[in-house]
Amino acid sequence: MALLEAIGIGKTYPGGVVANDGVNLVIEPGEVHAVVGENGAGKSTLMKILFGIEQPNAGRLVLDGKDVSFAGPRAAIDAGIGMVFQHFSLVPSFAVYENVVMGSEPRQGIRFDRKRAIAEVQALSDKFRLKVDPLPPVSSLPVGQQQRVEILKALYRNARILILDEPTAVLAPQEVQELFVAIRSLVAQGKTVIFIAHKLPEVLEISDRITVMRQGKTVGQVKSSEVTEKSLAALMVGREVTLRVDRKPTDQSKRVAEVRGLRVVNARGTEVVAGLDLNVHAGEIVGLVGVEGNGQAETLEAIAGLKPIAAGDITLSGEAINGLPVLDRRGRGLASIPEDRISEGLATGATVAENLVSTKLTDRRFVRSGLLDLKAIRDNATKLIAEHSIRVGGPGYTVGTLSGGNMQKVVVARELSEQPKLLLVNQPTRGVDLGATQFIWRTITDARDKGAAVLLSSADLSELLALSDRLLVLYRGRLVAAFLNTPDLTPETLGTYMLGLSTQTAEDMKPALR
Amino acid sequence: MSNVPAIDKSIRFKAFRQEVTRSVGALVIALAVTTVIVFLTSKAPLDALTQLFTAPAAKTRTIGLWVDDIAKLTLTGLAFSLVFQARQFAMGVQGQVYIGAIAASFVVLSPIGTTPFGLAAGVLAAMAAGAFYGFLPGIAKAKLGANEIVSSLMLNYIAIELCNFLVRTSLPLPQAGVLTTVDFPEQSVLPALVANTRIDLGLIFAIVAVLVVWFALYRTSWGLKLRLVGHNARFAEYSGIKSTFIMVSAMTASGALGGLLGAVFVQGQTWGKLTVQFEGGLAFEGILVAIVARSRPLAVPIVAIFYAYLRQGASLMNVRTDVPAEVIGVVTAIIILLVSSSFSVNFVSKLFRRAPAAAAVQSAAK
Repeated sequence: MALLEAIGIGKTYPGGVVANDGVNLVIEPGEVHAVVGENGAGKSTLMKILFGIEQPNAGRLVLDGKDVSFAGPRAAIDAGIGMVFQHFSLVPSFAVYENVVMGSEPRQGIRFDRKRAIAEVQALSDKFRLKVDPLPPVSSLPVGQQQRVEILKALYRNARILILDEPTAVLAPQEVQELFVAIRSLVAQGKTVIFIAHKLPEVLEISDRITVMRQGKTVGQVKSSEVTEKSLAALMVGREVTLRVDRKPTDQSKRVAEVRGLRVVNARGTEVVAGLDLNVHAGEIVGLVGVEGNGQAETLEAIAGLKPIAAGDITLSGEAINGLPVLDRRGRGLASIPEDRISEGLATGATVAENLVSTKLTDRRFVRSGLLDLKAIRDNATKLIAEHSIRVGGPGYTVGTLSGGNMQKVVVARELSEQPKLLLVNQPTRGVDLGATQFIWRTITDARDKGAAVLLSSADLSELLALSDRLLVLYRGRLVAAFLNTPDLTPETLGTYMLGLSTQTAEDMKPALR
Repeated sequence: MSNVPAIDKSIRFKAFRQEVTRSVGALVIALAVTTVIVFLTSKAPLDALTQLFTAPAAKTRTIGLWVDDIAKLTLTGLAFSLVFQARQFAMGVQGQVYIGAIAASFVVLSPIGTTPFGLAAGVLAAMAAGAFYGFLPGIAKAKLGANEIVSSLMLNYIAIELCNFLVRTSLPLPQAGVLTTVDFPEQSVLPALVANTRIDLGLIFAIVAVLVVWFALYRTSWGLKLRLVGHNARFAEYSGIKSTFIMVSAMTASGALGGLLGAVFVQGQTWGKLTVQFEGGLAFEGILVAIVARSRPLAVPIVAIFYAYLRQGASLMNVRTDVPAEVIGVVTAIIILLVSSSFSVNFVSKLFRRAPAAAAVQSAAK
């Protein structure tokens, strides 16, 4: 008998977005069940329904053969379901054990029994091989360990079914392996794991069965042993996709950007970029590799002029640009695709047309003597919408009504509407579906082929390996390794340096530092 | 792609219709609650309600009061809309009104006031003073990080007390002890558009201001920058827009509108002189107008028409019946609550249809 079944689930959000439409999911006890699908396929909505955050408009949930309905997460937790979200909900200043027991603390009278709490958390962590020290504050732990704290939190509340929402998105390859060890140990001890992901190799490695979702519907349930990465991708998108781009040979002799001795200090006074030197040449993509938070984002922001620098020099086409305002840097041929499109790359309340000209408000094509040329602005938008096949009703729609992939296309369309000299790219395809990813990769590579110098940072190693000509590994704001992107370079090799387990000597790095 | 503008129009129309339904729905609910309160508290409820709903349109004189309120509420509503669109919560319109009125009074009570330029000089002085007074919290925020809500509210008190002080000490009074200056020279008073009513040139100023603000926001690059800063300041910085400059200039422009309102008050048919506390709390009611109008300049006068009617109805009800004008505070509060929350007419009908389910969804969302 199935442990948990969702039958004919339908969910329509106010505003008419159909997120789930006749979704069926069967979870057997003791299995690792992956739910895969593109962004916007309805995975998250389905999980929110299983965890009681959203209520379905149609269909039913069956747990242990009995119909259930969860009025809220509390009810789901009581029924033995735990969920670990992509964005953790931990109190950073509290100790690990405090975070784990918070809300259901062991008590002695009215006092919080700390000793028992520590012992219980320690026992739980040993039992499920989720190694983490209960005493230090959560803020001092790396992301991988914070995730373990989240899992322990669910287990502490006696979760039988554990839902992990994109758990590998924030992890380095080695940490992913550790997570998988923990998942296997959980299953071995009778737990059931629902694993949401869109990185297919991982899905195939860890899961027993896979449910594929597309456009709010379940399109199939398969055994992991019976599918390949390619057939699974085809099932997800509804057609064959090839996720690779060809890079043409280009003339990479001209140095476009130089960074010397760059130091960036964050608001708390910690040095996040500690003396970085790098060069980017016309016609090449340089990948910045590192676990998130090791200075990649700050390096890009410093070059874009969005973050003040503590020391160092940045030159673009031989001219120093430190201290220049953003608009002047853009005027010299700098374009930038930021990390977080919603909080930085777009004004979601403004129209597509307005977003597409936001960086060009000194351009005489669109603004003359302070007045907007509305026709030129609309024509510009109509042209870019067609060129980038952005799915939107027209230039007058607000950006907030678009899907994630189409929002990102708006950013890309604006930044690449003119051939840039230096293109800064940070997480170009995070949370973007396969179709749009393919398109965005193509666009970035095209800019490179036409002679742009591209500096790319991404949490997705396969993206870096697919696009980059050279790779620079950052650890704690320092360059620890540099590689030419050759076919024998593997994610595992990069991972060793990303985690700071080893460092190349200056001599080793030399061939890849030009 | 040729049909795109048509689509644009139809979605804009749909959004417009939604907003109108929302606002009217909020108004109906608020008035229903008011009716209940009047029935519960008044000895002659029907009489009171008749006054509230019909009195403003009953006579030429009351229509004059109504139209005068429309003009003034439009100006303050525009001033608030401008800062709200840049997502600055400056509350300084009241202070700008007083400072503007003071500046206008000094100019028109000087020899300039009796020349043909008196009127224009007074109005321009008021706008300049108001702009400066709007600039202060803006620059304090940009340079010192001072919260604009706090600084603008404090500046309001300074302006009110400054007006109080100057009326008592520096301005010519008809006789000692009164808190009102001598009447302004005729050349400096806004001429009435309709004889024997308060409808004066201020109405024209308000209409022009609506068009100017609309044009500035939607047809100039400054306006687009301002709206982009309002949507997302980080994005604006990333795009190369100097968001602090936009912020300060928005607050300064809003201050000029506040100053203009000050001149319309004291140079208008209502007063024609400077007196303490002349503004009667009207400036702050621009917040309501701006919120209900969703900070859209073209919607501001429409909201002002309705709100001014209620405002006058309430004050006439106050004078003529046993129901105090404060009842209208209930209407205001309910409208603000409904319009600024994610209230929709659908939501209300759903609420009545299946109240328990809706409540469960809400608690789950938390």
